[in-house]
Amino acid sequence: MNTMLTYDDIVNNLEDLPSLPAVVMELLNSIDQEDVDISVLAKKVSYDQALTAKTLRLANSSLYGLQVKVTTIQQAITFLGFQTTRNLITAAAVTGCFAERHCKGFDHKAFWRHSIASAACARVLARQMRFNQDYAFTGGLLHDIGRLVLVACFPKEYEKAIAYRDEHDSYTLEAERAVLGIDHVAAGMALADHWNFSDTMKLAIAHHHSPEAQGAGFLAAIIHVADAIAHALDLAKTPDGLVPSVSTVAWTALGLDEEVYLQLFRETELQYEEIAMVLLS
Amino acid sequence: MTASYQHMPLAQVEPGMVLSDELLDVQGHVLLPQGTVLTDATIALMPRHGITMLPIAVLAEPTEEELSARQARHLERLAHLFRKSDLDSDWASALLHRFVTDYRLGQLPAEE
Repeated sequence: MNTMLTYDDIVNNLEDLPSLPAVVMELLNSIDQEDVDISVLAKKVSYDQALTAKTLRLANSSLYGLQVKVTTIQQAITFLGFQTTRNLITAAAVTGCFAERHCKGFDHKAFWRHSIASAACARVLARQMRFNQDYAFTGGLLHDIGRLVLVACFPKEYEKAIAYRDEHDSYTLEAERAVLGIDHVAAGMALADHWNFSDTMKLAIAHHHSPEAQGAGFLAAIIHVADAIAHALDLAKTPDGLVPSVSTVAWTALGLDEEVYLQLFRETELQYEEIAMVLLS
Repeated sequence: MTASYQHMPLAQVEPGMVLSDELLDVQGHVLLPQGTVLTDATIALMPRHGITMLPIAVLAEPTEEELSARQARHLERLAHLFRKSDLDSDWASALLHRFVTDYRLGQLPAEE
């Protein structure tokens, strides 16, 4: 096997990736700043019509239960707050920025269906746990982003990983490690650094398969369980769907009972339909 | 309100079917309230609003055979989705499996 990749191979290829609109980078970079000039950012976003339209459709979806219809980014910020609006802009930008690379066996649509399902579920879980719903939504949406990095930078190699997965009926993570020598978690981390994601988001991406790790953080536990639920609810509808093993540590950390889960499954399915309609159109 | 619902592709929706939830357009506006009985006219309007799937209430009691066939399909799919989980020793996966199974089969939570 001569295709083993290293972390440096990933980093060296990141420059070739599609970049996010400048204003989205600016939003990501300012995630921990309190004193950003919101009106300037709102104005910059509004120059990008496609981005603005998607963001406003998300803001007006029933997820946020607004009584009025917002028609500008500035209005969205007024009614939903800066943080929620920023997350919506990020979601709209990220789902549109990766071109569909030809990589045999990799289904871009199915990838985003699963990511959106995880985001919807993470958001519902977060509300239940009184955790920041915006972080949970974005974390769910981006947890597997490393797979897109690998597909975009090394499509031929990734085809082999998919073939290995199909042949051995293994988890994607195992196939990536066996064939590429690196997995989508590491690739996601490289991108998170490159795109200046916040530390909270980096931890969630880094530990969504290992929420029991020291210092993984609560968001990782939420994303981990949301990922498993999204697979179990079969929302991406891939024939070879496979539920990852659920971490007992993460499951215990959430501490929810069956009644709550049944309610949460229903809400996840409904929200999923709605978000998918906006983000995948 | 309705105990049971399914997301149905527009092509399969027929007049007389009932919405199990309120129907929203892509902007999030309510197009039709929950419980609306669909007509040819309302169904014809759906494409214009970008609606491809509708939440339809399952009203008619399905026959025994339909019910058991549907349950068998759910169980088969769940067994496939959880094929790598060791449900005997991995208790968190086992609980998720049980909850999703109960959800799919429309059962109330088992008494602990």
